Amino acid sequence: MRRISLLVLTPVWLIVAAGCGKDSAPPAGSDEFGRCADFHELRQVYWGDTHVHTNLSFDANMQGTRTSQADAYQFAQGKPIALQPYDEAGNPTRMAQIDRPLDFVMVSDHAEFLGTLAVCNDPVLPGYDSQQCIDYRDAQAFDADPADVRSVFITINGLTAALPPEAQYPALCGPGDVYCLEAGMDVWGEIVNGAEAVYDRSDSCEFTSFPGYEWSGGPGTKNLHRNVMFKNANVTELPYNYFDEPYAEGLWARLQEECIDAGTGCDTLTIPHNSNLSEGIYFENRMGNGEPFTAEYVEARNAMEPVIEIYQHKGASECLPGETVSDELCGFEIIPFSNLATTNLEIISAPDPRGFLREAYGEGMKLEESLGTNPFQYGITAATDTHVSAPGFVAEDDFKGHGGAGQPNRFLPPPEGFPDIEYLSPGGLTAVWAEENAREAIFSAIRRKETFGTSGPRIVVRMFGGWDYPNDLCSAADLAEQGYDGGVPMGGTLDPQPGSAGPMFVVSAKQDAVPLQRIQIVKGWLEGGDYQVVVHDLDWDPNNDASVDFNTCTPQGEGFGDLCSVWQDQDFDPSERAYYYARVIENPTCRWTTYQCVHENYDCENPSREIDLDCCDPSAGLNVDWCESIDCTDQSLPPADARCCVPRVEPVIQERAWTSPIWYQPPS
Amino acid sequence: MLRTLLHFFLIGGLLFGAKVFIEGRRVEGPEITVRVSADATQGEVDNAVREAILLNEARRYGWDKRDPIVFTHLVRNMRFIDPDSTDGDLALYERALEMNMQAHDPVVRSRLLYRAGAALAYVPEDRMPTRDELQAHLRAHGDRFEREGRVRFQQVFLSRSKRGDALSADASAMREQLSTLDERPPKGLGDPLPGLRPEQSATLSKIKDDYGVELAQAVEEAVTGVWRGPATSVYGLHFVKVIDQDAAYVPALDIIAAEVRADLLRELRDELRKERMDALLGAYAVHIERVP
Repeated sequence: MRRISLLVLTPVWLIVAAGCGKDSAPPAGSDEFGRCADFHELRQVYWGDTHVHTNLSFDANMQGTRTSQADAYQFAQGKPIALQPYDEAGNPTRMAQIDRPLDFVMVSDHAEFLGTLAVCNDPVLPGYDSQQCIDYRDAQAFDADPADVRSVFITINGLTAALPPEAQYPALCGPGDVYCLEAGMDVWGEIVNGAEAVYDRSDSCEFTSFPGYEWSGGPGTKNLHRNVMFKNANVTELPYNYFDEPYAEGLWARLQEECIDAGTGCDTLTIPHNSNLSEGIYFENRMGNGEPFTAEYVEARNAMEPVIEIYQHKGASECLPGETVSDELCGFEIIPFSNLATTNLEIISAPDPRGFLREAYGEGMKLEESLGTNPFQYGITAATDTHVSAPGFVAEDDFKGHGGAGQPNRFLPPPEGFPDIEYLSPGGLTAVWAEENAREAIFSAIRRKETFGTSGPRIVVRMFGGWDYPNDLCSAADLAEQGYDGGVPMGGTLDPQPGSAGPMFVVSAKQDAVPLQRIQIVKGWLEGGDYQVVVHDLDWDPNNDASVDFNTCTPQGEGFGDLCSVWQDQDFDPSERAYYYARVIENPTCRWTTYQCVHENYDCENPSREIDLDCCDPSAGLNVDWCESIDCTDQSLPPADARCCVPRVEPVIQERAWTSPIWYQPPS
Repeated sequence: MLRTLLHFFLIGGLLFGAKVFIEGRRVEGPEITVRVSADATQGEVDNAVREAILLNEARRYGWDKRDPIVFTHLVRNMRFIDPDSTDGDLALYERALEMNMQAHDPVVRSRLLYRAGAALAYVPEDRMPTRDELQAHLRAHGDRFEREGRVRFQQVFLSRSKRGDALSADASAMREQLSTLDERPPKGLGDPLPGLRPEQSATLSKIKDDYGVELAQAVEEAVTGVWRGPATSVYGLHFVKVIDQDAAYVPALDIIAAEVRADLLRELRDELRKERMDALLGAYAVHIERVP
């Protein structure tokens, strides 16, 4: 493990942090808990995105993203943003705008190449003249050869796929990597200052920003990425990345020592994501040294990683259809790739079921039996993972591609076909239940896991678990007050209650633009050491005939504006560990690919544009009229028709919200 | 001052532009001829002139001969033209310069314009904003930092999903009940809805995002202290009573200093870019040649 000597680094960041000099900003105002005009002790919902990339991320930069962190913050607050491709004069050919502002954002650029990009773009920095930088800059030219661009991307970005012992900065970073460490430190300072500049410290509390970055370790392209979130501007001196700390436990140790224990007011946590692309190693019982988890390891992981991204641009990580339990709603945005490389190259490869959260929840409870702490006791978040500086840009009917592992859209002409790999999606949002829209309150909500994720719509869901809730709690105007008084909110842990029947749960939800179809509770538990899962439908009309008009993508059929249910677990065994999370399901709507086809008014009889061909491909499941006429029981179907029966993507989806689980721990 | 100038030049300041700008007087400058198409609009002509000046400045500073991107690119061009050459990179580069290749290559042009653009927007240390300047900026542009006004209101909600066909009748009964409350809060009345509070302080934008236009309008038009409604949302029916209102306001500098500083720097960069460009435009003698 490389230890970085701060003695070799310039003191620029220290100067910035200390606010020295004539040009420094005056001291920031106070940020005390309870300062916002809309403070409410029973908490309210705030919407955010904690996974955002801009031109400071090497992959986004190579894909032609020119917008900055400042642009990303503006976008989150409702301003339009430019999207690639840019024309020769540097004008963007596309724009994007969010329909409603977000309440909070963490921009999380990949930390590995923050310094690299700075070195390669600043002529006064050593390393600027290195061949790698020259190649990088050549690849920035308007008329660069896409093959050369890809070559540069693979050469540099591929370093994050090295195995941990070989993980290292690019050669351009010079002896001891000092060029990039130094430059990266400056960029990190600018990131922190940029987050400060947009954080609303007035009592209006309109917008909250968090400094952060992404630790992007992916040995053998098996994704182990984690976003590092800081509560405020008191941060570590360096944004520790895969090259500095190639194992997650090393990262946590650094963050513990240099942030949480430093006595500087620093606080931090890490948010894992895309366990679906890890080939199952995200939740493997193995530490960096190859040994099984120790009690110290699981304690650190539990403490440092309170939540996980269940869904984003690169698919859902909740559950794989056919695993653990029959659950037809697991088939939502499952991408057919096993790791980052197969995603990037679009090589169909089955994901490993061990990389999905529902499996991890079971493994975590088993580990808790032996080690005393559950390393996978995750709360839930969701995000976009946008690589075009567009936090919260989740609209299925206006999707323009997020880049990253998706389609870059860097070169002209602007995309006429799908603007992204069809298996990928616009991603989701994180919601927190917090007292106010300010750093302390939101960070605390994430730490205590009073969070939920959605696949994009702002479905609001609240969940409490307790032992003695009244059966008519859904009719009580003070549901939230009774919920807290009589139990724990989502993310909490129920202590044993001797003499009680099973735990009770109240789940209350309200729709966004589309009516709700149902609430479900997913229960997982250990039974004699075996992991069991069951899905309960709580409150719905299975015959509501909700569907979609494929000519217009208009949702059809009845649904619910709000739903609420009180449910008691009648099969509860107080001696076994268990968890319960709610899933709130919308009526069916068009997937983004279908919206594109409908908006473009494709004509399969006379295809003239790329999008016609995409939309008319029956294997993509998009030519609905065609495929609806196919009899899938007919074994003699010609190959083209037969592909309708195994569509690559579903034309219709059911958007949803997932709450953090409420956990039950039996008496020790 | 010396350090400022040195830094300006190091990051790519334009020699002539800097001289003109810093000395604050007209200096006789170079003459250039800019060729544009015969039917070019005035905007296209202006753009071509600006680019020509910046390219000329970049060349005067020697970036076309010293920039590493330019070097690599020209060497690559030469190896393409003469693949059998055994000359080293430096020799090939010098041959490219002799051929004046740097003057016409689009990659070189793009690179030089990029560097020139960055130089135009550079903020020297002695132009970094002071606290007084921040205060003045906040005073002058209060609208940019204004916070939306808030309304404190009470709300009672009746769920369409829960009440179904009885919703309308229940609303009538609720209206009656609310009218008897006088100043008492509507504690325990109505149905729960996630996030809905019996009393809250919110902006109209937030109310619209959460419950729709009709409820926002009802709150906006409500007479303080009087129950109004029901207003319809996708969730059901809502009654509202406005308690008080806080007007839009501009926070104090101590609270939003970082925000003000970022805005001022953005503006300063735009000003510097314009000032320096204007200085260059004023100093250059430009001949426009329209070609068919």
